[in-house]
Amino acid sequence: MSFPNPATSVKLVLLGEAAVGKSSLVLRFVSNDFQENKEPTIGAAFLTQKCTIGERTIKYEIWDTAGQERFALLAPMYYRNAQAALVVYDITKPASFIKARHWVKELHEQASKDITIALVGNKFDLVEDDEEDSLRKVSVEEGQNLAEEEGLLFFETSAKTSYNVNEVFIGIGSKIPDSSANQPEAIRENNQGRIDLTSNNASGGSSGSGDCAC
Amino acid sequence: MSFFESLRDKAVATITQVLDKKEEVKLTKDELFCKEYNLPDGETILSESAAEVGVKSSHNKDAYKNIPFPQGRVYATQHFLVFRDLFDHRNCCFTIHLLSVKKVERLPSRDYGFALTITTHSQISVTLYLIGLRSDSEKFAQTLKVILKKNLSNINKFQIFLKTCYSEYLLAKNQISNEKIDSPPNGGLGLEFKFPGNAKDSKDKSKMKLWFDLFRVDGRNLSLIKTPMFYKLVRVGLPNRLRGEIWELCCGSMYLRLADQTEYEKLLSQNMHKKSIAIEEIEKDLNRSLPEYSGYQSPIGIERLRRVLTAFSWKNPEIGYCQAMNIVVAALLIYMSEEQAFWTLNLLCDKIVPGYYSKTMYGTLLDQRVFESLVQSTLPMIWEHVEKNDIQLSVVSLPWFLSLYLTSMPLVFAFRIIDIFFLQGAKTLFQVGLAILKVNGEELLKTNDDGTFISIIKEYFNTLDQSAHPNSPNPKFRNITKFQELLVTAFKEFSIINDEMINKHRLKYRDSIFQNISSFVKRTEIRNLPKLANIDQATLSIIYDRFYAFVESYNVTLGSGSSLMDFKAFKRFMNDICDWIDNRDHQGAGVTTDDFLRRLFDNWDVEGAGFISLSDLVIGLNKLVEKDLMTSISNFFELYDVRKLGRIDREGILQVSEDLLCITSPWKDGILFDRITDGLISQTALNEQKKNPDFEGEIIIDRLKFEHQQIERYLSGASTFIQRAFEYAQPVEEEILIQDLVMDNKISHNAALNPNTPVFVNLPTFRMVVLADETYELFFSKTFRKSIHLDKPLDSKFDSIRNLRSMFDGLLADGRKVARVVRDRVDVAANNVLHNNEDNSSMKSSKSKVHEEEEERDDDFGVISINEADKDLLLGAEAQVLTDPVHPGSGANRDLKRLHQENGNVPDSERKDEKGEIKNLIEFDNS
Repeated sequence: MSFPNPATSVKLVLLGEAAVGKSSLVLRFVSNDFQENKEPTIGAAFLTQKCTIGERTIKYEIWDTAGQERFALLAPMYYRNAQAALVVYDITKPASFIKARHWVKELHEQASKDITIALVGNKFDLVEDDEEDSLRKVSVEEGQNLAEEEGLLFFETSAKTSYNVNEVFIGIGSKIPDSSANQPEAIRENNQGRIDLTSNNASGGSSGSGDCAC
Repeated sequence: MSFFESLRDKAVATITQVLDKKEEVKLTKDELFCKEYNLPDGETILSESAAEVGVKSSHNKDAYKNIPFPQGRVYATQHFLVFRDLFDHRNCCFTIHLLSVKKVERLPSRDYGFALTITTHSQISVTLYLIGLRSDSEKFAQTLKVILKKNLSNINKFQIFLKTCYSEYLLAKNQISNEKIDSPPNGGLGLEFKFPGNAKDSKDKSKMKLWFDLFRVDGRNLSLIKTPMFYKLVRVGLPNRLRGEIWELCCGSMYLRLADQTEYEKLLSQNMHKKSIAIEEIEKDLNRSLPEYSGYQSPIGIERLRRVLTAFSWKNPEIGYCQAMNIVVAALLIYMSEEQAFWTLNLLCDKIVPGYYSKTMYGTLLDQRVFESLVQSTLPMIWEHVEKNDIQLSVVSLPWFLSLYLTSMPLVFAFRIIDIFFLQGAKTLFQVGLAILKVNGEELLKTNDDGTFISIIKEYFNTLDQSAHPNSPNPKFRNITKFQELLVTAFKEFSIINDEMINKHRLKYRDSIFQNISSFVKRTEIRNLPKLANIDQATLSIIYDRFYAFVESYNVTLGSGSSLMDFKAFKRFMNDICDWIDNRDHQGAGVTTDDFLRRLFDNWDVEGAGFISLSDLVIGLNKLVEKDLMTSISNFFELYDVRKLGRIDREGILQVSEDLLCITSPWKDGILFDRITDGLISQTALNEQKKNPDFEGEIIIDRLKFEHQQIERYLSGASTFIQRAFEYAQPVEEEILIQDLVMDNKISHNAALNPNTPVFVNLPTFRMVVLADETYELFFSKTFRKSIHLDKPLDSKFDSIRNLRSMFDGLLADGRKVARVVRDRVDVAANNVLHNNEDNSSMKSSKSKVHEEEEERDDDFGVISINEADKDLLLGAEAQVLTDPVHPGSGANRDLKRLHQENGNVPDSERKDEKGEIKNLIEFDNS
């Protein structure tokens, strides 16, 4: 007995220092692709991707923000109302970890109270075959500790090899309670889902105002 | 957070002039004038007069025959002669650089009065019929004569400059001018890597021909007479090879380039091997700037981009490098030489969109707010919808503004927008933005989230080349593309959006934007401070505000800015929050609380730089208000243990006791009561009540009595302290005995009392001495700490908003100032160049590389005539958009006629063609 569950929309924002691989993580997740030279993000890029976790389908609305320091001032525009955030750093660059710490604090102070945050140490590929860990500058423990202190999910990923990337989004998705997605709309959506049994495509209906557009 | 610091530095530097101004920094008449005519900063009106203007071109004697003499005002500045039509400046206006003036003649005075004929380098003669008192006209002529003479010394610069202008090359090649220019000047990457788009589709050849004709009749570069035709030709899209030059002419960066022909190279060579954060950031983005354009897949393009961005970052360290600048410069470089792009970027950041790429990006944030507000007033339906669905407009529009539409639209269209942007400034960005929303309004009203909103607009941008009315039965309508429709909407419907309106809006939202920025900066800075046991977050926030209030207002008087606190500011800061600072003027000797403050300051100034940072201050204050008695005493001890040897010597002991005497003054003088006295008072009151339980009225306490008691106590505390300190101090020789300090060690006792024997107290002794006295013990555990009011609210005279506003004005004002300084430098440099380049004209490069035959021939208008069908260029929708109000509708035909009438250089057969075309045009227009 499986209803086609309507997709829950989740607004997710990526934050982190420049060139840690935010856009690459998104590109990997959205198109399973990787590019060495990506145009820098101006302001923020917007992408969407669906993700099925068990019975639920989550439609991520991803805001991929610019990493250059001065763009930090624009960030509130993007994390406003976000239900989830990826704070990304580069495990070979300690400064990017410090920056990540800032972003976590900023989010805790300024973003929605119930935001789900995942701390992501990217560029795992650079240390994978590196026996002595000479390139790694931020240890797994440091990341874990910060995550524990601040109550975050924690992952180390590689957008290049796609290691652990999907896990991040699945992890976030499982942590987001059903009801937290767009409160009033979520209820409406659920109702629709129940009444509109004949519809076999959750995202197709454009009749209802509360329907999630794709 | 060095960039926040430097931001503050900037703000402080200019805070004085703006402290009490509610309005925008008022521009002087000259500044406004420069702004309006895109003249470099520093030009001032030296003389002006009402005038009627007659123009003659030696290439086409009748070009101006049927045009009534424009009336207006003529101005002479240090380097320019400026005229503007009184009724409609688009009808006729010019900015002639005085270097391009060949000859000025005074016409024999007739009944008309006073007239001057100015012949320019481009063989145009402009006759100014000055209107007004004869003496005033004489004065004007005299001024002109003087400044022309002054400019004469720079004529060499002008000769070199002409060789960098494509317009000159074009005319020389077609034997219109006498200049000897053998090779095309440095230009954009497009010359080598092809220009974006299809030159045939954009009718590039015909556009080129039209500009060629215009140059002959109306002059060019530094001596161009702007007539309605000029604006029209810009609006229909510039031809590839002239685009760069017309851009710099429209925005005025050409004048900057003329004025300093060496700065660009100098910046690069002087900073050749230097590193900076900006350089690092630039390197990261070089391969990510318009990567799909072939020029940037080659080291040639990458290198040019690197050089321009790097040179800019050295010239403007307060901006450095901002992402999106790479895109803008990459775009400029397709049409411009490095130097052209460099100066244009400077002008862009300084004047056209100030603050867009600054370290806080305040300009970007502000203009987004302004844009939202314009949407609200001009497109209320869309605004209401966006509000209702909680869609944040700026997330959609911000990249439009920041990258000048270059990352949003296909390049060919973005460049058309940029053509107009350089012509009419920042309002273009708003007009186009509003038009995009309006054109897509119907679709947008159906969306209810950011995502769909964005994808509609993305789709729209990708189909700009398609028909706007694909289903229209009228082929004329069917042929109108979405892009043309966009331009018409932008520049016709939203022509109400003018500079004045935008400025008004900017003024309105400035404070709130700055409030946001500063609270963000504050949050970040406070977050960067170390975690402290004795100061909570709320108090930190107050300390932060007070820190900057004192740092800024103090430095104003000095005229220098810093985000560090020097001793004087520190004193004022402490004075504001401590009960024990002595404010009396101490002339001459004597110990004051200054000595103690100085000691604190030096102790907190970890690097010994003479300044403390916010972080130093907070760490210091945290120690000062230590709650733990033992720690508090040892903190105090450390202040006097300067060399960190764990001991205070004889001199130090004396200092401690004197400082203690000073900082306990309020209690010692009975001005404040400590806890002991308070306790005694309430005890007395209680006793009184016990004695007299029925007594209803006020209990009278003899304040004076308690005051005296306390004074006694403090004085005795002080004397006990020094006595005991020396009693228990140890002679230096007996260092070994420190551990087994015996209270009644007679020898050391005696030695200590002998002023010639070096003695010291260590920390345990010091503690003991302090703790031995009840008053001093209390002083260290409570009295002192409670007398420092870290959380005292900041006096309202430090209006933070006012500081913010000043900060903002400061940033703007600063840009202007910098430019002026540069200008001065430029003039000096120019003189040097003059002496060094005696005969530069012989240094012509002979490496004229022959490009593709076909492209090259585009310039030979003696051979190639204009495609008949392309004549409708000027009648196209976009050309008509901004028709001059004075002569509505008549524009295109009359202008074309003017350009092509009686043209000695055109063969007879072609002349017929031209006439034929004109006939066609008229018919077209009537249909």
